[in-house]
Amino acid sequence: MKQKPDLIEILRRSREGEYCSAHDWDLKKIPQGVKSMLVKYGLKGCVDKANPVNLDMELADTFYKAGYELALELGMFNEAKDRIIKIEKDELDSTLRLAPSEVTVGFGADKRVMKSRVPSDPSPMLFGSSLGITVSEDVWPLLTEGIARQLEVDLLEGGSMCTVDGLDALPNDPSETLLCYKQGRMHRQIRKNAGREGMPGIGNISAVTEFGQFCYGSKNSFYNTDLSLILYPSELKINNQTMHKVVHTLAMDGLIFAGSPGMIGGMPGTPEGAVISSIAAALLQYAVLFASVGGGELYDIRYLSNVNREGLWALSTTHQALSRNTHLITHGIANQVSGPGTKELLYETLVGVSVIAASGAAFSTGPRSAGGKLNNYLSPLDCRWCAEVAHAASAMDLKDVNELAKAFLPKYEASIKTPNVGKPVQEVWDLKNFRPLAEAEAAYDQVRKEAVDFGFPL
Amino acid sequence: MNVIVKKLYDAVIEGDEDMAVVAANEAIAASLDSLSVIKEGIQAAMDVMGVRFEDGDAFLPELMLAGDAATKSMELLLAQIRKDGGEGADAGTVVLGVMAGDHHDIGKNLVKAVLSANGFKVVDLGIDVSVKKFIETAQRENAQIIACSTLITTSLPYQKELVETLKAMGIRKEYKVIVGGGPVTPQWTKTIAADGYSNTASECVDLCKQLVSDSCRGGEHAPIIIGALTA
Repeated sequence: MKQKPDLIEILRRSREGEYCSAHDWDLKKIPQGVKSMLVKYGLKGCVDKANPVNLDMELADTFYKAGYELALELGMFNEAKDRIIKIEKDELDSTLRLAPSEVTVGFGADKRVMKSRVPSDPSPMLFGSSLGITVSEDVWPLLTEGIARQLEVDLLEGGSMCTVDGLDALPNDPSETLLCYKQGRMHRQIRKNAGREGMPGIGNISAVTEFGQFCYGSKNSFYNTDLSLILYPSELKINNQTMHKVVHTLAMDGLIFAGSPGMIGGMPGTPEGAVISSIAAALLQYAVLFASVGGGELYDIRYLSNVNREGLWALSTTHQALSRNTHLITHGIANQVSGPGTKELLYETLVGVSVIAASGAAFSTGPRSAGGKLNNYLSPLDCRWCAEVAHAASAMDLKDVNELAKAFLPKYEASIKTPNVGKPVQEVWDLKNFRPLAEAEAAYDQVRKEAVDFGFPL
Repeated sequence: MNVIVKKLYDAVIEGDEDMAVVAANEAIAASLDSLSVIKEGIQAAMDVMGVRFEDGDAFLPELMLAGDAATKSMELLLAQIRKDGGEGADAGTVVLGVMAGDHHDIGKNLVKAVLSANGFKVVDLGIDVSVKKFIETAQRENAQIIACSTLITTSLPYQKELVETLKAMGIRKEYKVIVGGGPVTPQWTKTIAADGYSNTASECVDLCKQLVSDSCRGGEHAPIIIGALTA
């Protein structure tokens, strides 16, 4: 019986595997593979817009079977070599058996144990903040410290900086390497300043290429007890940059946190197709990228979001499928579109993060305020709200989360395509004193009260 | 609708490149007006695909395959128009790519499909494209427009570098530079003094048409902004 392939074997397959053009991979292999699974398992037309949270666990398990089979049929594509890295059944089964069901991140009193979960698991889903929203170099330290001071936030990521000492930081340029080393140093110092030196971190959101990732595990930068973030170009597709990051992280004895979202409207097509491809990608990244954490991300490209009805349904089904059928430490993102200081962002968080938490994801990061499009549109208050919701919703019954979604979706869904982008951090948060400004705090208090009045277990 | 034009229309909708080429050749052999065939057979079909995509009834693979069928059949019909001494069908040449450091190509592929269907010659440079390659290709292809997208914030400065390199080379006026992608905003477009921005792929067609017909040269006017994002 074959075991999980080692790194050399994966690198060999990424050079010598079956040739396939990127065009055929994108337009034939993925769409045809997904369609065949939809037909074989009778999964077409499952989305129920009236019930944005899937409540049929048998259906979730069927999606898992389809995603597992797609993983074996397709494999992962290396766009640098136009080769397919195929994984055989025994190898995938071995990989899933050997994958950790829990990992300790951070150290000392501030460490956290990330655990595999199941739907409505009383063990709370962990939450890390924020995502890679760009933040000005002068704002970044105080904003990031503001996030670290939110005790509800379990892991610290922080936004992306665009400049290093005033110089634009360009990917695949020495300025990227310099920026990431600097960010790693500051990240470590900020956690200390916030009184949470051992707080687990996620590094490095500003590392587009492998050069930026070299700071992970190096002296005075990200610890190897932090997560090493390795994003790949799209679901089921990697490149040499991805593999460089894998090799480096393994050399540092670090923890690989891999991911790339399945796309509703993209190559897998329908929400049902995106669920299948997202499951397949989640499974394969443990074999090909040696992930310890991750898998289960999913967006709708028409909105670059997933807090719409179809996105929520797909998120819930994906995480139910993965958490019920594996012990992987999965990861989901609620991809908001509204911005800081708006009630819409708080509603989107309440619904999106609750769905992920109650569906069994182990870990989540966010927020993606203002869709991640605008510089400095990120507030520690919104990070706190995300984490509060993540912890509180974890044990909720899926039926109750479905009712929550149905009640709160009407408060924001009409504006998903033309969202209220809100205000930059300086207008919603007192950076020097680490506290929200009055207007933003009032919106937070109001939405929090609405949630509690509804019966949300805060 | 003429039977041959309908055949072409259906082939584009189905994303059947081979059948689209057959139909285009049949239209030429039957001496149909190539410009009308393009409008009724290709552009109308792509309009339908655009609506289906927005409505969730068609997805990226179908749209891209339709774009490929549209591009191949359009090449034949445009060649026939030129052979007949006709003008006005070539909308212009666009050099398109994803900025260096970025490997996300979904948005770029959408733009390619809709521009091709609207008569633009699109030179697709793919992903992770250097500033140097954008400029060298634009020079070689005598392009009117350089279109660069990125989904990742950290590749944004390369858009600025593209505009500044064109200036430094003394050829800024030769090209209209348009920018797009997730983190790209109208404000960023103005900051780097690009020539245009659109919020969606379909709006990019209007943007390119306006820029090509505009008598101003690259960098001479405030950017044209098309789209809903206001921040």
